[in-house]
Amino acid sequence: MATAVADRTWRDSSPETIEADLAALWIDLARQAPVVRALMANLVIFRERPAGERIDLSAPIDDVPVDEVSRLHPSRVILLHHARGAREARSPIAAAIGAFTFGPPRARYGVEQIALRSTCAEASLPSIVRRLTLGDLPTSLWWADDLSQAAPVAALVAMARQLVYDSRRWHDVREGVLALAPLLAGERETDLVDLNWRRLTPLRQAILHAVGSARPTADMKLAGGRIRHRPGDDALAWLFAGWLSSRLESTSDPRAPLLMEEAPGGDDILTVSFSDAFITATMNEHRVIVSSQDDVAPFVTAAPRETEAEAVASELRSLTPDVCLRDTLLALSRRFSSG
Amino acid sequence: MPESLFDRLAVGQTAPIVTEPVTLVIFGGVGDLAHRKLLPALYNLHLDGLLPPRFAAVGVGRKVLSDESYRDFAKDGVTEFSRRPFDGAAWQRFAETLFFVNASIEEGGTLAPLGARLDILEHDRGLPGSRIYYLAVPPSLFVPTVKQLAAAGLLARPSTSSRRQEPVTTETDAPPFPRLIVEKPIGRDLASACAINDAIAEVFSERQIYRIDHYLGKETVQNILVLRFANSIFEPLFNQKYIDHVQITVAEEEGVGTRAGYYEQAGALRDMVQNHLLQLLALVTMEPPYSLDADVIRDEKLEVLRSLQPIDRTAVVKQVVRAQYAAGYEIGAAVPGYRDEPGVAKDSRTETFVALKAFIDNWRWAGVPFFLRTGKRLPKRASEISIHLKEVPPILFNRTPPGSLDPNVLSIRIQPDEGFALTISSKVPGPRVRIYPVKMDFRYSSTFGATSPEAYERLLLDVMAGDATLFMRRDAVETAWRWVRPILEAWSEQADAPLPTYAAGEWGPIEADRLIESTGRQWRQP
Repeated sequence: MATAVADRTWRDSSPETIEADLAALWIDLARQAPVVRALMANLVIFRERPAGERIDLSAPIDDVPVDEVSRLHPSRVILLHHARGAREARSPIAAAIGAFTFGPPRARYGVEQIALRSTCAEASLPSIVRRLTLGDLPTSLWWADDLSQAAPVAALVAMARQLVYDSRRWHDVREGVLALAPLLAGERETDLVDLNWRRLTPLRQAILHAVGSARPTADMKLAGGRIRHRPGDDALAWLFAGWLSSRLESTSDPRAPLLMEEAPGGDDILTVSFSDAFITATMNEHRVIVSSQDDVAPFVTAAPRETEAEAVASELRSLTPDVCLRDTLLALSRRFSSG
Repeated sequence: MPESLFDRLAVGQTAPIVTEPVTLVIFGGVGDLAHRKLLPALYNLHLDGLLPPRFAAVGVGRKVLSDESYRDFAKDGVTEFSRRPFDGAAWQRFAETLFFVNASIEEGGTLAPLGARLDILEHDRGLPGSRIYYLAVPPSLFVPTVKQLAAAGLLARPSTSSRRQEPVTTETDAPPFPRLIVEKPIGRDLASACAINDAIAEVFSERQIYRIDHYLGKETVQNILVLRFANSIFEPLFNQKYIDHVQITVAEEEGVGTRAGYYEQAGALRDMVQNHLLQLLALVTMEPPYSLDADVIRDEKLEVLRSLQPIDRTAVVKQVVRAQYAAGYEIGAAVPGYRDEPGVAKDSRTETFVALKAFIDNWRWAGVPFFLRTGKRLPKRASEISIHLKEVPPILFNRTPPGSLDPNVLSIRIQPDEGFALTISSKVPGPRVRIYPVKMDFRYSSTFGATSPEAYERLLLDVMAGDATLFMRRDAVETAWRWVRPILEAWSEQADAPLPTYAAGEWGPIEADRLIESTGRQWRQP
């Protein structure tokens, strides 16, 4: 979906003068035409960049739909291009500010972006971000990198109400889950948002419906199953397994073998079958189909189509912690920790 | 009774701001305050045409400077710190009003030379002898300066010149006046504040004294009364029935900098709480005054200060947290802890942070906690009052924790980004009921475009116009000191107690979080 940015204005700034420069920018924009400064949240986006890499702070980012998310959920975006590994505490080496305006001339609204290039010790990162977040707005941290390769900066996560990530980017599911484990064990709850987990919602709902509609049998279990997944969707498969494990611990053996296999080719993303319950669920890009050996017709439900930006924006608007995801990650964490 | 000519002409007219021809004498004329604030403020008043048509500003200091050198000094300050850009043509006319006199109070000098220079200046410039003496000097020099003024006969002055005859619409024929502007801090405890006030009162009447709390000159602070009493939506809610609690935060990003000499003797409680924070508290909680007369408003503020529930020595531990900043980070860079700052003792126990819980024992605010917090080396410079309304009942949309709704909050941003905002719960578009806290936001900068006048502009103008509304009266200053006295006494008795610390760049120590979290609430970060 094309980004409906009406105007994009960037200016160089310095870490010390960001607020003043933003205020001046808005005044200048308002002089050109009426514009409403829209602010629903703080959205901190972390991107790891090698120390020597030259970065144009004002350039759009190819693989992260920042502008579109801003349009859907107007936020103060703080883009942190950070080189990890530095030991020295130092100020960001470059800063830029921008304002994107959307909408027709008579109903123009705009959002602001702050882009920073930092190469400092991680301990000093919060002092950079904290002064830029607006305290009366919810703060979300969008970890746009593969966190199975490098765990998120704990001090940044602690500042946020939400941590948004996408486990589909993970190269190693086990490492990804274990990177999140400290957040699950901490005293302070951070609302975890996995965009991949969101894709699983129609499958979980369909299975719930199927189980609820089935003729009750005393020994019905969802154990001894098999999960076949499309290549690249192993994280999704593991999330499903973790969900089942977290919800059925009292009635099923959590160590009951769930066979996980990759199924190349075909349109199906995930197929789950349980020999005990005679249920098979298949999810593709368009729908979820749950069939059983009962005489009833398969249950079919549509899978919502949404862009990554729409998914992120929708999650940013939801401030209620996802208990299900938390339990799922806890179950997976226990499983992976025990080898 | 027939209306006077004045009454008839005044119909539909706004009253002019009446400023008398005046000589402003700035003790500490080459100090930091004059350089950064006072001279740029005067320049902006000049640009706005708000200085009296006949006016002189005379800097007084220990340095030996010519008038021209002083004008260069002022030009530097204006160029760097004026909210509006330097304008060469406007500057020329303004610079002609600036003069400098060398005089030293510390070294036992007299002010007779100053008096002689003022006489000449006023005669030459057709000034009537009305003078405003601004004490932009350390508090230790307040009393000596005032005594020297009296000794040199610089106070009760007849007019020394005949007025020029050009019509000046903003002038009156009032007799010449002396006025005194005193910068905070007025004393370092109740006894010293009373001593200073007594000494000044021997020379100036209370109506001639203008005690500056520059916070009160800020547009947003003035807007508090407008917000409360010019809108029907808020005032009915401002009471214990609807308000859960109030937070007042005055956060500074800077460390102690070059002020260690002063700050070591003061600390955050004396430097900020006793004046700025209590004044803000009074404005937010005062009863509606029956008029905008200066003393009527100040009476109402005083009532609030008198209604503050005393924090006795035993309660200090439970209700007040003090701390000192340790090494940490500012915008990513490492910064030293307070004890490693130049001029600070290695074993200093001066607090750079204070958080406290206060109550107002009156009918309107009984039982509502007020959380006040101020500190240096916090994450950002921000002053804010947030009024937290009570939660809606735990039914309907607020039924199931952890999905409880955020309560409504009215926040008044004093600096920077002046304005106010109201957060309200709103349904997120879509088939399900999801609720999100949205913000209705008013910003001075984007609404009114131009930059707001600096606090000192308004305050200097008010002194020239004789309006004391935004200045602290003696009784308020002493009542505030009386309230903080038990805290100071308790701290002095706890000389061996560990002093909490917080890393520079953090929002204070863990003890401050516990103070508010023990009541089931949380600090709101500006």
